Amino acid sequence: MEKRKKKPVKASMGGNGTVSSASPSHAFLLHLICGLGLASSFWVANNVYSVNLITNPSQTLRLIWVIEAPIVILLYSLFRKNPDQCSYLKAVGRSMLVLPAGAVVNALGAIALGAPVGIQYFLRTLNWSLLMSLLTFVPAATVFGSSWTDWRRLFAHSKPIGSIDYMICLPAHGAVIGAWFGAWPMPLDWERPWQEWPISVSYGAMAGYLVAMVASFGFVLWHGDRQHVKGD
Amino acid sequence: MGPAEWWSRGEKRPFSLFLLIAGLHFVAILLFTRGFLLTRTELPHYSNCSDVSRSPCVPPTQFNQTNRNPLCWTKPAVDRLVIIVLDALRFDFVAPSTFFEERKPWMDKLQVLHKLASRPGSSARIFKAIADPPTTSLQRLKGLTTGGLPTFIDVGNSFGGSAIVEDNLVHQLVQNGKRVAMMGDDTWLQVFPHHFNKSYPFPSFNVKDLDTVDNGCIKHLLPALYEEDWDVLIAHFLGVDHAGHIFGVDSIPMIEKLEQYNAILEKVIEPLESQSGPGGLHENTLLLVMGDHGQTLNGDHGGGTAEEVETSIFALSLKKPPSSVALELDTSSCQLDLDGRKMCISSIQQLDFAVTVSALLGVPFPFGSIGLVNPELYAVAAGTWNLESSNVDSCQKQSNLEKWLQNYVNVLCINSWQVKRYIDVYSTSSVIGFSNEDLLHVSDMYTQAEENWLHTKKELMLHENESCHISLPTLKRQIDAYFKFLASAAELARSKWTEFNLKMMGIGFGIMLISLFIHFLAIKRIDKLFGVSVPSSCNSGISFWLIFAYIVVALRACSFLSNSYILEEGKAASFLLATTGILNLRYSIMKKKMLLEAMVFLLLISIVRFTIELGLSKRAFSSVLSNICPSWMLGIANGCPVWEYVAEIVPILALFLLAFMLYKSIARSSCQGFLKYVIIGTMFSYMLIAVYWALESNVLSLPLVLGGIKRNFIPRIIYAIGFVQLLSLALVQFFNEERSSDWEEGIVIKTVAMLSAWSSTIIILSGKQGPLVAFASVVGGWCITRSESLELDTKKWNSRILTFYSFPVTQWSLLAVCLFFCTGHWCAFDGLRYAAAFIGFDEFILIPQAVLLTIDTFGFSHILPIFGLPFIVACQYSFGQAEQRKRFFFMHLSQVYLMYGLIMATTMTFTILCVTIQRRHLMVWGLFAPKFVFDVVGLTLTDILICFASLYYFG
Repeated sequence: MEKRKKKPVKASMGGNGTVSSASPSHAFLLHLICGLGLASSFWVANNVYSVNLITNPSQTLRLIWVIEAPIVILLYSLFRKNPDQCSYLKAVGRSMLVLPAGAVVNALGAIALGAPVGIQYFLRTLNWSLLMSLLTFVPAATVFGSSWTDWRRLFAHSKPIGSIDYMICLPAHGAVIGAWFGAWPMPLDWERPWQEWPISVSYGAMAGYLVAMVASFGFVLWHGDRQHVKGD
Repeated sequence: MGPAEWWSRGEKRPFSLFLLIAGLHFVAILLFTRGFLLTRTELPHYSNCSDVSRSPCVPPTQFNQTNRNPLCWTKPAVDRLVIIVLDALRFDFVAPSTFFEERKPWMDKLQVLHKLASRPGSSARIFKAIADPPTTSLQRLKGLTTGGLPTFIDVGNSFGGSAIVEDNLVHQLVQNGKRVAMMGDDTWLQVFPHHFNKSYPFPSFNVKDLDTVDNGCIKHLLPALYEEDWDVLIAHFLGVDHAGHIFGVDSIPMIEKLEQYNAILEKVIEPLESQSGPGGLHENTLLLVMGDHGQTLNGDHGGGTAEEVETSIFALSLKKPPSSVALELDTSSCQLDLDGRKMCISSIQQLDFAVTVSALLGVPFPFGSIGLVNPELYAVAAGTWNLESSNVDSCQKQSNLEKWLQNYVNVLCINSWQVKRYIDVYSTSSVIGFSNEDLLHVSDMYTQAEENWLHTKKELMLHENESCHISLPTLKRQIDAYFKFLASAAELARSKWTEFNLKMMGIGFGIMLISLFIHFLAIKRIDKLFGVSVPSSCNSGISFWLIFAYIVVALRACSFLSNSYILEEGKAASFLLATTGILNLRYSIMKKKMLLEAMVFLLLISIVRFTIELGLSKRAFSSVLSNICPSWMLGIANGCPVWEYVAEIVPILALFLLAFMLYKSIARSSCQGFLKYVIIGTMFSYMLIAVYWALESNVLSLPLVLGGIKRNFIPRIIYAIGFVQLLSLALVQFFNEERSSDWEEGIVIKTVAMLSAWSSTIIILSGKQGPLVAFASVVGGWCITRSESLELDTKKWNSRILTFYSFPVTQWSLLAVCLFFCTGHWCAFDGLRYAAAFIGFDEFILIPQAVLLTIDTFGFSHILPIFGLPFIVACQYSFGQAEQRKRFFFMHLSQVYLMYGLIMATTMTFTILCVTIQRRHLMVWGLFAPKFVFDVVGLTLTDILICFASLYYFG
């Protein structure tokens, strides 16, 4: 799947700035709200606009990312690194910038893997990749900004340290891996409407994202416990 | 014991190991194939009129001296024949609904047939015809006309076309002066390209079009019924088949189609009946309305379920038979239809069609037919002789029935003799004949029947005065004896040709598994040896890369269990390859280098992916389009002149680029005198290819200076150069003691020489896309070897080689698979680029063209990747003490070859598993079996090439 490749930004900040940490309850709340955000966007799509992913994939995907984006950006901005040097607004601003950039990366990755290309697919791919960007890159951008070392640690080495790292890294990986698996049923000849691009892939991504959020919460709990033990 | 010692002990060990594995694969495949693929040899023999004198039977001339034409095998019963084929005609479309448990909306639509068949004293009859799977139109046409059983591979000279070369009904008709007219499905013209007097073919490939073929048929069929210029008329309607494919059986378009057919049949029967009076055009005409196969409720066909194999034949003789005959031979079942009319339906094997129609028309039976003359279908028309005119003299008393039976016995006698002759000839001339006891059993029956008949005839001679005819019971006994023989002969043929031998398949699969196990053990062992030999061996455990390589191979292998993934194999392979590419990119970001290589690799995969899709979409148009534009680039180039120029120029530029790369590679290496000349030879070949294409192209419109010969001249020179290069490389291998000083570079240049020797031939065969694909594979290979050396720095050289090479080798094999698909091939026989076989040749010569076709098909996907594998080892090998290095190097190289072989063998094993599981699947002959054949050829080629490569590189 579209693995991470980030634009090499001048790494102005060192990797070891003050790492704000999140307590398990914070992590739980954050993940819960993100999850509820996804769920409510589905609900809104179904009941307010009466569209769903299968019949109107691009509208639904747009609705999902439009509803989910403020939740993710505003929540993760609370956990931004170096809160003294970086205002809340700045964190929100940079995440807004990364959203389209991350979408381009996701879209390129999907195309390399075989996503269909064409005018009729343009809107779907656009909305899908914006959603993917929201699930993968935007939290990292909100929290770490352009700190290249942190990006590398999270996405290339996949070695999170600390609770915030888990909260960013695991859901992002979960979404990507879920999307990868979501692509497998597409060539089957079952002729179901959900086998169209990018429906099954979106389902996979969101399922992976949700599962990874649970896992991330578990890690944060475990991590917190360990810290607690260490403290003793 | 160090690896050096181990290696020097078994200098020839890798080769013998490869040979062992190849042998195991070969045995496994052979056993499996014998159980799975139904092979039958097509015999080139044809029946002739005069053959019948060699039979022990009474030639018909004895019965009938008054006929104006010289008689052939049987006495003709009908003069003209109208065959209306309704494609995919289910049995329940024709038979009245009372024959079935439940009345469905699509039943009882062909009312006109019911009416005719139930008319009292009518000479019309409905038959349930049982086809042999595979129930595809082409195979069924073959079966209907040859009277033989279908097989997956008809070994014979059917190379490059689907024309029927075996003896068949249409050939016999033409041979015996019958004029055959055809209209409708153009498949008939494919299989009988030169047989028809008149033909109105319509394209059959557009499934969505329900009407073109049918309307064309109607337009030509109705006027033709008033004409005299044909003896046999074939009209093939496709609407029902297409309606089934698109809408299914239970749909409005299907019912509309059936109603339309009912109207058409009424319109056909009306002029036939109106002209059937004495002296009329259709005085002695037989009308057959038949399906070639059935279909499932979804409109699929191809498999062997009852719905697909059960179709129907409706026969109507326009001459009223004087009396109904042969009731005892009747196998029919009778029911009242909806209107309370009594209707009888008989059953016939489709196998029997060819020989029955031959007997009715009085032409020799097709040589390879194993059917029997069906008594009921024969009776529909053969009751219609003017019985008074023959045998007038002595036997007035003889009843019509007896006369009919006597004639039928004689026909059966000829029939039996012909089947016996075929079985005898087949078992002597075919590689895989019948077993001796089976043959003995069958010929016993034949002799018995024959002796019985001779005896009866002798009796007849003796008692000529008392009774001039044979008694009814004797005749029936005789018929029974012949039936028994014919049934057992067909049984034998069927068991030999259409049934899977599960035991054999199981053994083959078992051996394949064993070979996989040995393969794996060998890899493990070399790995261990190496691990032991290196002092500071720190076991890094199972690495991520190794696991990932396993997963990729396993995923790809498992994907073969579904027909969808086999159809989209190219896409699945490029998906996996892109995944590995993305992981590489991630890794290179982690290591902060080789970013460019990783990016280029991803870009390359994206391009490859698009070309694969182009190939897939071309496949949808089937062979029709690929005949018109053999290379996909020309397909794009149509229309815009600028693109046309680009399409001409770019391949030539790419050729120059490749030549330049070769030049650089020899310029960089120090000397290697002889190999240098080999590579220079290739550069010369490239120039020749460029000249060849420039001459061919119509854009440049160069004057044709060299005349006609030059077209074939240049390719042949290129083949010759390639051959000489390979030969000299092999010779150098034997005679040239290589110096041990710069062997590393030597290996590289040896690899380059080998690849370049093959490349020119492969490129010219692949057409204009050739140099681009070659360039892509060079770039791909370079990226893989480069990004592999990323790992090297971190893991150091003491890591296990299994861990180390598994990932790049997997990538390498995936790239090879992608190249297969992006050169416009796919795993089906229409995926072969037959045009490639005729580059440099105008006429058909089997062996060179088979070789060329193999090189074209497997060049980019097997030959080049396998000979290129040393790059994976050589490009990053730069450690260890000098004297150990060489040993290690060869160990690594053999490990890499083992891995590559293992990957190929794993996919093959899963293909075998897949065809075993899916052997009764609908698409087994359309999809799984071709895939299996391609994999078999691919694996065999891989084994052979690995053996050669080990001889060449290990020296």
